[in-house]
Amino acid sequence: MTATLENPPARALTEPAVRLAGVHKTFGHGRRAVAALAGVDLEVAAGEFVCLLGASGCGKTTLLNLVAGLETPTAGELTLNTSRPAVMFQEAALMPWLTAARNVDLALRLAGVARADRPARTTELLDLVRLSGVGAKRPHELSGGMRQRVALARALASQPASATEQPALLLMDEPFSALDAINRDVLQAELLRVWRATDSAVLFVTHDVREAVRLGQRVVLLSSRPGQVVRDWDVNGLSGADELDVVDEINTRLREVISSHVG
Amino acid sequence: MSAEVPTESGTGAEAAQLTAEPAEATVTDFDDEAVGAGLDLLDTTHPSTITGRDRLRKVAKAVLPPLLAVVLLIGIWQALWAAALWPEDQLPAPKAVADNLWGLISTGQVLSILYVSVHRGVLGYLVGVAIATPLGLLLAKVSMLRSAFGPLLSALQSLPSVAWVPLAVLWFGPTPPTIYTVILLGSVPSIANGLVAGIDQIPPILPRVGRVLGAGALANARHILLPAALPGYLAGLKQGWAFSWRSLMAAELIANSPQLGLGLGQYLQNGSSYLDMSMIISAIVLILFVGLGVELLVFRPLERRVLRSRGLSGAL
Repeated sequence: MTATLENPPARALTEPAVRLAGVHKTFGHGRRAVAALAGVDLEVAAGEFVCLLGASGCGKTTLLNLVAGLETPTAGELTLNTSRPAVMFQEAALMPWLTAARNVDLALRLAGVARADRPARTTELLDLVRLSGVGAKRPHELSGGMRQRVALARALASQPASATEQPALLLMDEPFSALDAINRDVLQAELLRVWRATDSAVLFVTHDVREAVRLGQRVVLLSSRPGQVVRDWDVNGLSGADELDVVDEINTRLREVISSHVG
Repeated sequence: MSAEVPTESGTGAEAAQLTAEPAEATVTDFDDEAVGAGLDLLDTTHPSTITGRDRLRKVAKAVLPPLLAVVLLIGIWQALWAAALWPEDQLPAPKAVADNLWGLISTGQVLSILYVSVHRGVLGYLVGVAIATPLGLLLAKVSMLRSAFGPLLSALQSLPSVAWVPLAVLWFGPTPPTIYTVILLGSVPSIANGLVAGIDQIPPILPRVGRVLGAGALANARHILLPAALPGYLAGLKQGWAFSWRSLMAAELIANSPQLGLGLGQYLQNGSSYLDMSMIISAIVLILFVGLGVELLVFRPLERRVLRSRGLSGAL
Protein backbone atom coordinates (compact mmCIF):
# COMPACT_ATOMS: atom_id res chain seq x y z
CA MET A 1 0.00 0.00 0.00
CA THR A 2 2.97 2.27 0.56
CA ALA A 3 3.58 2.36 -3.15
CA THR A 4 0.68 4.76 -3.42
CA LEU A 5 2.75 7.59 -1.98
CA GLU A 6 5.74 7.21 -4.23
CA ASN A 7 4.86 9.91 -6.70
CA PRO A 8 3.49 12.86 -4.77
CA PRO A 9 2.30 15.59 -7.07
CA ALA A 10 4.78 18.39 -7.51
CA ARG A 11 3.57 21.59 -5.92
CA ALA A 12 4.67 25.16 -6.12
CA LEU A 13 6.07 26.69 -2.98
CA THR A 14 3.48 29.25 -2.09
CA GLU A 15 1.86 30.52 1.06
CA PRO A 16 0.68 27.80 3.40
CA ALA A 17 -2.97 26.84 3.05
CA VAL A 18 -3.44 26.86 6.83
CA ARG A 19 -1.32 28.57 9.44
CA LEU A 20 -1.88 28.43 13.19
CA ALA A 21 0.37 30.61 15.32
CA GLY A 22 0.18 30.26 19.11
CA VAL A 23 -3.45 29.16 19.01
CA HIS A 24 -5.14 28.69 22.38
CA LYS A 25 -8.60 27.35 22.99
CA THR A 26 -10.13 27.29 26.44
CA PHE A 27 -13.60 26.05 27.28
CA GLY A 28 -15.47 27.43 30.26
CA HIS A 29 -14.46 30.23 32.60
CA GLY A 30 -12.62 30.77 35.86
CA ARG A 31 -11.55 27.79 37.89
CA ARG A 32 -13.55 25.33 35.84
CA ALA A 33 -11.90 26.39 32.60
CA VAL A 34 -10.40 23.59 30.55
CA ALA A 35 -7.56 24.35 28.18
CA ALA A 36 -8.03 22.22 25.08
CA LEU A 37 -5.23 23.78 23.07
CA ALA A 38 -2.32 25.72 24.54
CA GLY A 39 -0.18 27.41 21.97
CA VAL A 40 -0.40 25.32 18.84
CA ASP A 41 1.84 26.24 15.91
CA LEU A 42 1.07 24.40 12.70
CA GLU A 43 1.34 24.99 8.98
CA VAL A 44 -0.22 23.02 6.17
CA ALA A 45 1.11 23.77 2.70
CA ALA A 46 -1.20 24.00 -0.29
CA GLY A 47 -1.87 20.49 -1.52
CA GLU A 48 -0.13 18.90 1.44
CA PHE A 49 -1.53 15.88 3.28
CA VAL A 50 -0.98 16.32 7.03
CA CYS A 51 -2.11 13.80 9.63
CA LEU A 52 -2.82 15.05 13.12
CA LEU A 53 -2.18 12.32 15.64
CA GLY A 54 -2.91 12.12 19.34
CA ALA A 55 -4.65 10.22 22.11
CA SER A 56 -8.17 10.99 23.28
CA GLY A 57 -8.68 14.45 24.68
CA CYS A 58 -5.68 15.99 22.96
CA GLY A 59 -7.80 18.59 21.25
CA LYS A 60 -7.46 17.18 17.73
CA THR A 61 -11.13 17.68 17.07
CA THR A 62 -11.08 21.12 18.65
CA LEU A 63 -8.24 22.10 16.36
CA LEU A 64 -10.16 20.86 13.34
CA ASN A 65 -13.30 22.71 14.45
CA LEU A 66 -11.28 25.92 14.71
CA VAL A 67 -9.99 25.52 11.17
CA ALA A 68 -13.48 24.62 9.97
CA GLY A 69 -14.80 27.84 11.52
CA LEU A 70 -17.17 26.00 13.86
CA GLU A 71 -15.39 27.56 16.84
CA THR A 72 -13.14 30.58 17.36
CA PRO A 73 -9.72 30.52 19.04
CA THR A 74 -9.44 32.03 22.55
CA ALA A 75 -6.04 33.45 21.63
CA GLY A 76 -3.53 33.23 18.82
CA GLU A 77 -3.79 33.58 15.11
CA LEU A 78 -5.43 31.34 12.55
CA THR A 79 -4.95 32.11 8.86
CA LEU A 80 -6.67 30.30 6.01
CA ASN A 81 -5.52 30.86 2.43
CA THR A 82 -8.08 28.52 0.99
CA SER A 83 -11.63 28.44 -0.20
CA ARG A 84 -14.19 27.31 2.37
CA PRO A 85 -12.85 24.07 3.80
CA ALA A 86 -14.66 20.83 3.06
CA VAL A 87 -15.31 18.91 6.27
CA MET A 88 -15.84 15.23 6.94
CA PHE A 89 -16.79 13.89 10.36
CA GLN A 90 -16.42 10.55 12.06
CA GLU A 91 -20.02 9.77 11.20
CA ALA A 92 -21.18 10.22 7.65
CA ALA A 93 -23.97 12.47 8.99
CA LEU A 94 -25.90 12.32 5.74
CA MET A 95 -29.39 13.78 5.73
CA PRO A 96 -31.47 10.61 6.19
CA TRP A 97 -34.42 11.97 4.23
CA LEU A 98 -32.40 12.68 1.09
CA THR A 99 -31.01 10.23 -1.45
CA ALA A 100 -27.24 10.04 -1.89
CA ALA A 101 -27.42 12.28 -4.95
CA ARG A 102 -29.68 14.80 -3.22
CA ASN A 103 -27.27 14.96 -0.29
CA VAL A 104 -24.51 16.01 -2.68
CA ASP A 105 -26.93 18.31 -4.45
CA LEU A 106 -27.82 20.06 -1.17
CA ALA A 107 -24.14 20.84 -0.55
CA LEU A 108 -23.82 22.28 -4.06
CA ARG A 109 -26.95 24.32 -3.52
CA LEU A 110 -25.70 25.73 -0.21
CA ALA A 111 -22.39 26.51 -1.92
CA GLY A 112 -24.32 28.64 -4.39
CA VAL A 113 -23.99 26.45 -7.49
CA ALA A 114 -26.68 27.28 -10.05
CA ARG A 115 -29.54 24.79 -10.32
CA ALA A 116 -28.75 24.01 -13.96
CA ASP A 117 -25.16 23.04 -13.18
CA ARG A 118 -25.93 20.89 -10.18
CA PRO A 119 -27.01 17.55 -11.72
CA ALA A 120 -23.86 17.25 -13.84
CA ARG A 121 -21.61 18.17 -10.93
CA THR A 122 -23.42 15.72 -8.64
CA THR A 123 -22.85 12.89 -11.14
CA GLU A 124 -19.23 13.90 -11.47
CA LEU A 125 -18.66 13.83 -7.71
CA LEU A 126 -20.44 10.51 -7.23
CA ASP A 127 -18.29 9.10 -10.06
CA LEU A 128 -15.21 10.38 -8.28
CA VAL A 129 -16.01 8.30 -5.19
CA ARG A 130 -17.13 5.36 -7.37
CA LEU A 131 -20.76 5.53 -6.43
CA SER A 132 -22.21 6.23 -9.85
CA GLY A 133 -24.96 3.64 -9.60
CA VAL A 134 -26.36 4.39 -6.16
CA GLY A 135 -27.32 8.06 -6.40
CA ALA A 136 -30.98 7.20 -5.99
CA LYS A 137 -30.47 5.20 -2.80
CA ARG A 138 -31.09 6.59 0.63
CA PRO A 139 -28.45 6.56 3.37
CA HIS A 140 -30.10 3.71 5.28
CA GLU A 141 -29.81 1.52 2.18
CA LEU A 142 -26.05 2.03 1.95
CA SER A 143 -23.21 0.40 3.86
CA GLY A 144 -21.07 2.36 6.32
CA GLY A 145 -18.24 2.62 3.81
CA MET A 146 -20.53 3.82 1.05
CA ARG A 147 -22.06 6.41 3.36
CA GLN A 148 -18.61 7.76 4.16
CA ARG A 149 -17.89 8.00 0.44
CA VAL A 150 -21.09 9.95 -0.11
CA ALA A 151 -19.98 12.18 2.78
CA LEU A 152 -16.65 12.67 0.99
CA ALA A 153 -18.44 13.59 -2.24
CA ARG A 154 -20.65 15.98 -0.29
CA ALA A 155 -17.64 17.57 1.41
CA LEU A 156 -15.99 18.08 -1.96
CA ALA A 157 -19.24 19.54 -3.28
CA SER A 158 -19.12 22.29 -0.69
CA GLN A 159 -15.99 23.66 -2.34
CA PRO A 160 -16.33 25.92 -5.35
CA ALA A 161 -16.02 23.91 -8.55
CA SER A 162 -13.28 26.10 -9.95
CA ALA A 163 -10.54 25.90 -7.35
CA THR A 164 -8.29 28.01 -9.51
CA GLU A 165 -8.20 31.18 -7.44
CA GLN A 166 -7.72 29.60 -4.05
CA PRO A 167 -6.39 26.19 -3.10
CA ALA A 168 -8.83 23.70 -1.65
CA LEU A 169 -8.69 22.29 1.86
CA LEU A 170 -10.20 19.07 3.15
CA LEU A 171 -10.65 18.62 6.90
CA MET A 172 -11.28 15.10 8.13
CA ASP A 173 -12.06 14.10 11.71
CA GLU A 174 -11.34 10.37 12.11
CA PRO A 175 -13.55 9.68 9.12
CA PHE A 176 -12.78 5.96 8.92
CA SER A 177 -12.53 5.01 12.59
CA ALA A 178 -16.06 3.63 12.72
CA LEU A 179 -15.47 1.28 9.78
CA ASP A 180 -14.29 -2.31 9.80
CA ALA A 181 -10.68 -2.99 8.84
CA ILE A 182 -11.24 -3.99 5.23
CA ASN A 183 -13.56 -1.10 4.47
CA ARG A 184 -11.11 1.29 6.09
CA ASP A 185 -8.33 -0.10 3.94
CA VAL A 186 -10.30 0.41 0.74
CA LEU A 187 -11.39 3.90 1.76
CA GLN A 188 -7.85 4.96 2.61
CA ALA A 189 -6.76 4.06 -0.92
CA GLU A 190 -9.83 5.84 -2.23
CA LEU A 191 -9.00 8.99 -0.28
CA LEU A 192 -5.44 9.06 -1.62
CA ARG A 193 -6.79 8.70 -5.15
CA VAL A 194 -9.29 11.54 -4.60
CA TRP A 195 -6.62 13.68 -2.96
CA ARG A 196 -4.37 13.30 -6.01
CA ALA A 197 -7.25 13.97 -8.35
CA THR A 198 -8.40 17.13 -6.59
CA ASP A 199 -5.14 18.85 -5.67
CA SER A 200 -6.53 19.67 -2.26
CA ALA A 201 -4.65 20.16 0.99
CA VAL A 202 -5.78 17.68 3.65
CA LEU A 203 -5.75 17.94 7.42
CA PHE A 204 -6.60 14.46 8.65
CA VAL A 205 -7.23 13.75 12.33
CA THR A 206 -6.70 10.21 13.56
CA HIS A 207 -5.58 8.24 16.58
CA ASP A 208 -4.27 5.37 14.46
CA VAL A 209 -0.49 5.63 13.91
CA ARG A 210 -0.46 3.24 10.95
CA GLU A 211 -3.23 5.14 9.24
CA ALA A 212 -1.43 8.42 9.79
CA VAL A 213 1.85 7.13 8.33
CA ARG A 214 0.17 5.44 5.42
CA LEU A 215 -1.88 8.44 4.37
CA GLY A 216 0.10 11.51 5.35
CA GLN A 217 3.10 13.26 3.91
CA ARG A 218 3.68 14.62 7.36
CA VAL A 219 2.53 13.34 10.76
CA VAL A 220 2.05 15.81 13.60
CA LEU A 221 1.82 14.46 17.15
CA LEU A 222 -0.24 16.41 19.69
CA SER A 223 0.10 16.05 23.44
CA SER A 224 -3.01 15.81 25.61
CA ARG A 225 -4.62 18.25 28.06
CA PRO A 226 -3.67 20.79 26.96
CA GLY A 227 -2.94 20.04 23.32
CA GLN A 228 0.43 21.11 22.03
CA VAL A 229 2.50 20.01 19.08
CA VAL A 230 5.05 17.49 20.38
CA ARG A 231 6.85 16.68 17.17
CA ASP A 232 6.34 16.15 13.52
CA TRP A 233 7.68 13.50 11.18
CA ASP A 234 8.17 13.68 7.46
CA VAL A 235 6.74 10.37 6.29
CA ASN A 236 6.42 11.20 2.61
CA GLY A 237 7.09 8.26 0.31
CA LEU A 238 8.28 5.89 3.02
CA SER A 239 7.84 2.19 2.41
CA GLY A 240 8.80 -1.21 3.71
CA ALA A 241 11.15 -1.28 6.69
CA ASP A 242 11.48 2.52 6.85
CA GLU A 243 7.74 2.88 7.20
CA LEU A 244 7.59 0.26 9.94
CA ASP A 245 10.44 1.99 11.77
CA VAL A 246 8.65 5.33 11.73
CA VAL A 247 5.43 3.70 12.89
CA ASP A 248 7.34 2.16 15.79
CA GLU A 249 9.01 5.43 16.63
CA ILE A 250 5.78 7.42 16.58
CA ASN A 251 4.02 4.72 18.57
CA THR A 252 6.72 4.82 21.23
CA ARG A 253 6.46 8.56 21.43
CA LEU A 254 2.69 8.47 21.61
CA ARG A 255 2.81 5.93 24.45
CA GLU A 256 5.31 8.11 26.22
CA VAL A 257 3.01 11.13 25.91
CA ILE A 258 0.05 9.12 27.18
CA SER A 259 1.92 7.65 30.17
CA SER A 260 3.26 11.07 31.16
CA HIS A 261 -0.29 11.89 32.27
CA VAL A 262 -0.18 9.36 35.09
CA GLY A 263 1.04 10.76 38.41
CA MET B 1 -12.79 5.99 22.26
CA SER B 2 -10.17 5.20 24.83
CA ALA B 3 -10.20 1.52 23.96
CA GLU B 4 -9.19 2.37 20.42
CA VAL B 5 -6.07 4.29 21.30
CA PRO B 6 -3.30 2.47 19.47
CA THR B 7 -1.27 0.70 22.13
CA GLU B 8 0.32 -2.14 20.13
CA SER B 9 -2.39 -4.52 21.24
CA GLY B 10 -6.08 -4.54 20.48
CA THR B 11 -7.87 -3.29 17.42
CA GLY B 12 -5.11 -1.05 16.17
CA ALA B 13 -2.63 -3.86 15.81
CA GLU B 14 -5.16 -6.21 14.25
CA ALA B 15 -6.08 -3.63 11.68
CA ALA B 16 -2.42 -3.01 11.02
CA GLN B 17 -1.89 -6.69 10.29
CA LEU B 18 -4.81 -6.86 7.96
CA THR B 19 -3.65 -3.88 5.98
CA ALA B 20 0.05 -4.59 6.19
CA GLU B 21 0.29 -8.17 4.91
CA PRO B 22 -1.28 -7.72 1.49
CA ALA B 23 0.44 -4.36 1.16
CA GLU B 24 3.79 -5.99 0.57
CA ALA B 25 2.37 -7.97 -2.31
CA THR B 26 1.64 -5.99 -5.47
CA VAL B 27 -1.61 -4.19 -4.86
CA THR B 28 -2.81 -2.38 -7.93
CA ASP B 29 -5.57 0.14 -8.32
CA PHE B 30 -7.62 -2.50 -10.05
CA ASP B 31 -7.57 -4.65 -6.92
CA ASP B 32 -8.81 -1.80 -4.78
CA GLU B 33 -11.57 -1.15 -7.23
CA ALA B 34 -12.65 -4.77 -7.34
CA VAL B 35 -12.51 -5.14 -3.56
CA GLY B 36 -14.44 -1.92 -3.12
CA ALA B 37 -17.10 -2.94 -5.61
CA GLY B 38 -17.39 -6.35 -3.94
CA LEU B 39 -17.82 -4.77 -0.53
CA ASP B 40 -20.46 -2.40 -1.86
CA LEU B 41 -22.40 -5.27 -3.35
CA LEU B 42 -22.20 -7.38 -0.21
CA ASP B 43 -23.15 -4.52 2.07
CA THR B 44 -26.09 -3.09 0.20
CA THR B 45 -29.49 -4.22 1.36
CA HIS B 46 -31.63 -5.69 -1.35
CA PRO B 47 -35.34 -5.07 -1.02
CA SER B 48 -37.29 -8.30 -1.21
CA THR B 49 -39.62 -8.60 -4.16
CA ILE B 50 -43.29 -8.40 -3.28
CA THR B 51 -45.78 -10.19 -5.47
CA GLY B 52 -49.43 -9.28 -5.95
CA ARG B 53 -50.53 -12.18 -3.81
CA ASP B 54 -48.32 -11.06 -0.92
CA ARG B 55 -49.86 -7.63 -1.13
CA LEU B 56 -53.39 -9.05 -1.06
CA ARG B 57 -52.51 -11.08 2.01
CA LYS B 58 -51.04 -7.99 3.67
CA VAL B 59 -54.18 -5.95 3.02
CA ALA B 60 -56.39 -8.75 4.31
CA LYS B 61 -54.24 -8.95 7.43
CA ALA B 62 -54.66 -5.23 8.06
CA VAL B 63 -58.36 -4.96 7.26
CA LEU B 64 -59.97 -8.16 8.51
CA PRO B 65 -59.21 -8.01 12.26
CA PRO B 66 -60.69 -4.53 12.88
CA LEU B 67 -63.69 -5.45 10.72
CA LEU B 68 -64.25 -8.59 12.74
CA ALA B 69 -63.96 -6.58 15.97
CA VAL B 70 -66.70 -4.21 14.82
CA VAL B 71 -68.94 -7.13 13.79
CA LEU B 72 -68.35 -8.73 17.18
CA LEU B 73 -69.25 -5.53 19.05
CA ILE B 74 -72.45 -5.12 17.04
CA GLY B 75 -73.27 -8.75 17.73
CA ILE B 76 -72.91 -8.21 21.49
CA TRP B 77 -75.00 -5.07 21.24
CA GLN B 78 -77.71 -6.97 19.35
CA ALA B 79 -77.66 -9.75 21.96
CA LEU B 80 -77.92 -7.29 24.84
CA TRP B 81 -80.81 -5.53 23.14
CA ALA B 82 -82.54 -8.83 22.46
CA ALA B 83 -82.18 -9.75 26.11
CA ALA B 84 -84.23 -6.60 26.86
CA LEU B 85 -82.26 -5.77 29.98
CA TRP B 86 -82.76 -2.05 29.46
CA PRO B 87 -85.69 -0.06 28.08
CA GLU B 88 -85.61 0.79 24.37
CA ASP B 89 -84.91 4.48 24.97
CA GLN B 90 -81.68 3.61 26.76
CA LEU B 91 -80.44 0.85 24.47
CA PRO B 92 -81.96 1.00 20.99
CA ALA B 93 -81.56 -1.88 18.55
CA PRO B 94 -78.63 -1.69 16.16
CA LYS B 95 -81.26 -1.72 13.41
CA ALA B 96 -82.91 1.44 14.80
CA VAL B 97 -79.58 3.29 14.72
CA ALA B 98 -78.85 1.99 11.23
CA ASP B 99 -82.29 3.19 10.08
CA ASN B 100 -81.65 6.61 11.57
CA LEU B 101 -78.25 6.81 9.85
CA TRP B 102 -79.75 5.65 6.57
CA GLY B 103 -82.41 8.34 6.90
CA LEU B 104 -79.67 10.98 7.22
CA ILE B 105 -77.81 9.54 4.25
CA SER B 106 -80.76 9.04 1.92
CA THR B 107 -82.03 12.57 2.46
CA GLY B 108 -78.56 13.98 1.93
CA GLN B 109 -78.77 15.67 5.32
CA VAL B 110 -75.60 13.85 6.39
CA LEU B 111 -73.61 15.80 3.84
CA SER B 112 -74.66 19.18 5.14
CA ILE B 113 -74.07 18.12 8.77
CA LEU B 114 -70.61 16.77 7.96
CA TYR B 115 -69.79 19.81 5.86
CA VAL B 116 -70.64 22.27 8.64
CA SER B 117 -68.39 20.48 11.13
CA VAL B 118 -65.58 19.27 8.91
CA HIS B 119 -64.98 22.55 7.10
CA ARG B 120 -64.80 24.36 10.42
CA GLY B 121 -62.48 21.75 11.85
CA VAL B 122 -60.18 21.81 8.83
CA LEU B 123 -60.10 25.61 8.62
CA GLY B 124 -59.40 26.02 12.32
CA TYR B 125 -56.77 23.30 12.16
CA LEU B 126 -54.97 24.90 9.21
CA VAL B 127 -54.86 28.25 11.00
CA GLY B 128 -53.57 26.37 14.05
CA VAL B 129 -50.78 24.85 11.96
CA ALA B 130 -49.87 28.26 10.57
CA ILE B 131 -49.60 29.69 14.08
CA ALA B 132 -48.00 26.71 15.80
CA THR B 133 -45.21 26.13 13.28
CA PRO B 134 -43.32 29.42 13.69
CA LEU B 135 -44.15 29.32 17.40
CA GLY B 136 -42.61 25.85 17.75
CA LEU B 137 -39.50 26.90 15.80
CA LEU B 138 -39.04 29.93 18.05
CA LEU B 139 -39.55 27.94 21.23
CA ALA B 140 -37.12 25.26 20.11
CA LYS B 141 -34.36 27.65 19.09
CA VAL B 142 -34.66 30.54 21.57
CA SER B 143 -33.93 29.16 25.00
CA MET B 144 -35.25 32.20 26.87
CA LEU B 145 -38.65 31.96 25.17
CA ARG B 146 -38.65 28.28 25.87
CA SER B 147 -38.01 28.55 29.58
CA ALA B 148 -40.66 31.27 29.77
CA PHE B 149 -43.45 29.73 27.67
CA GLY B 150 -42.55 26.05 27.43
CA PRO B 151 -44.19 24.98 30.71
CA LEU B 152 -47.26 27.07 29.91
CA LEU B 153 -47.62 25.39 26.55
CA SER B 154 -47.32 21.95 28.10
CA ALA B 155 -49.91 22.90 30.71
CA LEU B 156 -52.26 24.12 27.96
CA GLN B 157 -51.83 20.79 26.22
CA SER B 158 -53.19 18.94 29.20
CA LEU B 159 -56.10 21.35 29.71
CA PRO B 160 -59.33 19.92 28.26
CA SER B 161 -60.27 22.43 25.58
CA VAL B 162 -63.93 22.23 26.62
CA ALA B 163 -62.84 24.42 29.52
CA TRP B 164 -62.37 27.27 27.06
CA VAL B 165 -65.95 27.14 25.77
CA PRO B 166 -67.64 29.24 28.50
CA LEU B 167 -64.91 31.85 28.18
CA ALA B 168 -65.17 32.01 24.39
CA VAL B 169 -68.98 32.16 24.52
CA LEU B 170 -68.83 35.18 26.82
CA TRP B 171 -66.32 36.84 24.51
CA PHE B 172 -67.88 36.16 21.15
CA GLY B 173 -71.37 34.79 21.83
CA PRO B 174 -72.51 31.59 20.11
CA THR B 175 -70.82 32.49 16.82
CA PRO B 176 -68.16 30.89 14.60
CA PRO B 177 -65.31 32.89 16.24
CA THR B 178 -66.11 31.04 19.49
CA ILE B 179 -65.69 27.72 17.72
CA TYR B 180 -62.40 28.77 16.08
CA THR B 181 -61.01 30.11 19.36
CA VAL B 182 -61.64 26.79 21.05
CA ILE B 183 -60.11 24.85 18.16
CA LEU B 184 -56.99 27.02 18.16
CA LEU B 185 -56.50 26.79 21.91
CA GLY B 186 -56.85 23.04 21.60
CA SER B 187 -54.60 22.39 18.61
CA VAL B 188 -51.79 24.97 18.76
CA PRO B 189 -50.12 23.64 21.93
CA SER B 190 -49.89 20.06 20.68
CA ILE B 191 -48.63 21.01 17.22
CA ALA B 192 -46.02 23.40 18.64
CA ASN B 193 -44.94 20.85 21.26
CA GLY B 194 -44.61 18.19 18.57
CA LEU B 195 -42.34 20.44 16.54
CA VAL B 196 -40.24 21.29 19.60
CA ALA B 197 -39.86 17.59 20.39
CA GLY B 198 -38.97 16.89 16.76
CA ILE B 199 -36.27 19.56 16.78
CA ASP B 200 -34.92 18.35 20.13
CA GLN B 201 -34.44 14.90 18.65
CA ILE B 202 -32.31 16.07 15.72
CA PRO B 203 -28.78 14.66 16.04
CA PRO B 204 -26.61 17.74 16.72
CA ILE B 205 -24.23 16.70 13.97
CA LEU B 206 -26.76 17.58 11.25
CA PRO B 207 -26.98 21.34 11.89
CA ARG B 208 -23.19 21.32 12.26
CA VAL B 209 -22.93 19.76 8.82
CA GLY B 210 -25.22 22.52 7.60
CA ARG B 211 -22.89 25.13 9.03
CA VAL B 212 -19.74 23.69 7.46
CA LEU B 213 -21.61 23.50 4.16
CA GLY B 214 -22.13 27.23 4.46
CA ALA B 215 -25.80 27.38 5.46
CA GLY B 216 -26.93 30.48 7.34
CA ALA B 217 -29.62 30.41 10.03
CA LEU B 218 -32.51 30.52 7.56
CA ALA B 219 -31.05 28.00 5.11
CA ASN B 220 -30.25 25.73 8.05
CA ALA B 221 -33.85 25.92 9.27
CA ARG B 222 -35.28 25.30 5.83
CA HIS B 223 -32.96 22.59 4.50
CA ILE B 224 -31.93 20.83 7.68
CA LEU B 225 -33.91 21.59 10.85
CA LEU B 226 -37.42 21.37 9.43
CA PRO B 227 -36.95 18.22 7.34
CA ALA B 228 -34.96 16.58 10.14
CA ALA B 229 -37.73 17.39 12.63
CA LEU B 230 -40.43 16.10 10.29
CA PRO B 231 -41.21 12.81 12.09
CA GLY B 232 -41.80 14.61 15.41
CA TYR B 233 -43.61 17.46 13.67
CA LEU B 234 -45.88 14.98 11.94
CA ALA B 235 -46.71 13.32 15.26
CA GLY B 236 -47.61 16.79 16.57
CA LEU B 237 -49.73 17.51 13.51
CA LYS B 238 -51.61 14.26 13.98
CA GLN B 239 -52.27 14.92 17.63
CA GLY B 240 -53.15 18.51 16.75
CA TRP B 241 -55.87 17.29 14.41
CA ALA B 242 -57.28 14.98 17.06
CA PHE B 243 -57.37 17.90 19.51
CA SER B 244 -58.95 20.20 16.90
CA TRP B 245 -61.69 17.71 16.20
CA ARG B 246 -62.41 17.10 19.89
CA SER B 247 -62.40 20.82 20.67
CA LEU B 248 -64.77 21.42 17.79
CA MET B 249 -67.21 18.80 19.06
CA ALA B 250 -67.07 20.23 22.58
CA ALA B 251 -67.70 23.74 21.28
CA GLU B 252 -70.56 22.64 19.02
CA LEU B 253 -72.17 20.68 21.82
CA ILE B 254 -72.22 23.61 24.20
CA ALA B 255 -72.54 26.62 21.93
CA ASN B 256 -75.87 26.23 20.16
CA SER B 257 -77.40 28.86 17.93
CA PRO B 258 -79.00 29.14 14.50
CA GLN B 259 -75.96 31.20 13.48
CA LEU B 260 -73.78 28.13 13.86
CA GLY B 261 -75.88 25.91 11.63
CA LEU B 262 -76.42 22.21 12.21
CA GLY B 263 -73.09 20.45 12.74
CA LEU B 264 -72.33 17.09 14.29
CA GLY B 265 -72.12 18.54 17.79
CA GLN B 266 -75.49 20.27 17.45
CA TYR B 267 -77.02 17.11 16.04
CA LEU B 268 -75.75 15.24 19.08
CA GLN B 269 -77.12 17.97 21.35
CA ASN B 270 -80.50 17.76 19.58
CA GLY B 271 -80.56 14.00 20.09
CA SER B 272 -79.99 14.63 23.76
CA SER B 273 -82.81 17.22 23.91
CA TYR B 274 -85.27 14.88 22.13
CA LEU B 275 -84.13 11.98 24.34
CA ASP B 276 -83.53 10.13 21.06
CA MET B 277 -80.85 7.50 21.65
CA SER B 278 -80.68 6.53 17.96
CA MET B 279 -79.77 10.10 17.07
CA ILE B 280 -77.12 10.24 19.80
CA ILE B 281 -75.48 6.99 18.75
CA SER B 282 -75.67 8.00 15.07
CA ALA B 283 -73.86 11.24 15.89
CA ILE B 284 -71.17 9.38 17.81
CA VAL B 285 -70.72 6.95 14.92
CA LEU B 286 -70.36 9.87 12.49
CA ILE B 287 -67.84 11.66 14.73
CA LEU B 288 -65.75 8.48 14.92
CA PHE B 289 -66.11 8.01 11.18
CA VAL B 290 -64.63 11.45 10.44
CA GLY B 291 -61.78 10.97 12.93
CA LEU B 292 -60.92 7.57 11.51
CA GLY B 293 -61.26 8.78 7.91
CA VAL B 294 -58.82 11.64 8.38
CA GLU B 295 -56.37 9.35 10.17
CA LEU B 296 -56.51 6.69 7.45
CA LEU B 297 -56.62 8.99 4.42
CA VAL B 298 -54.25 11.77 5.49
CA PHE B 299 -51.97 10.99 8.40
CA ARG B 300 -51.32 7.26 8.02
CA PRO B 301 -50.01 7.53 4.40
CA LEU B 302 -47.98 10.66 5.21
CA GLU B 303 -46.43 9.06 8.26
CA ARG B 304 -45.68 5.86 6.39
CA ARG B 305 -43.95 7.77 3.59
CA VAL B 306 -41.84 9.89 5.93
CA LEU B 307 -40.74 6.97 8.10
CA ARG B 308 -40.08 4.60 5.19
CA SER B 309 -37.88 7.11 3.38
CA ARG B 310 -35.69 7.36 6.47
CA GLY B 311 -35.44 3.63 7.03
CA LEU B 312 -37.61 3.85 10.16
CA SER B 313 -40.20 1.20 9.48
CA GLY B 314 -42.65 1.92 12.28
CA ALA B 315 -45.49 -0.47 12.92
CA LEU B 316 -47.45 0.59 9.86
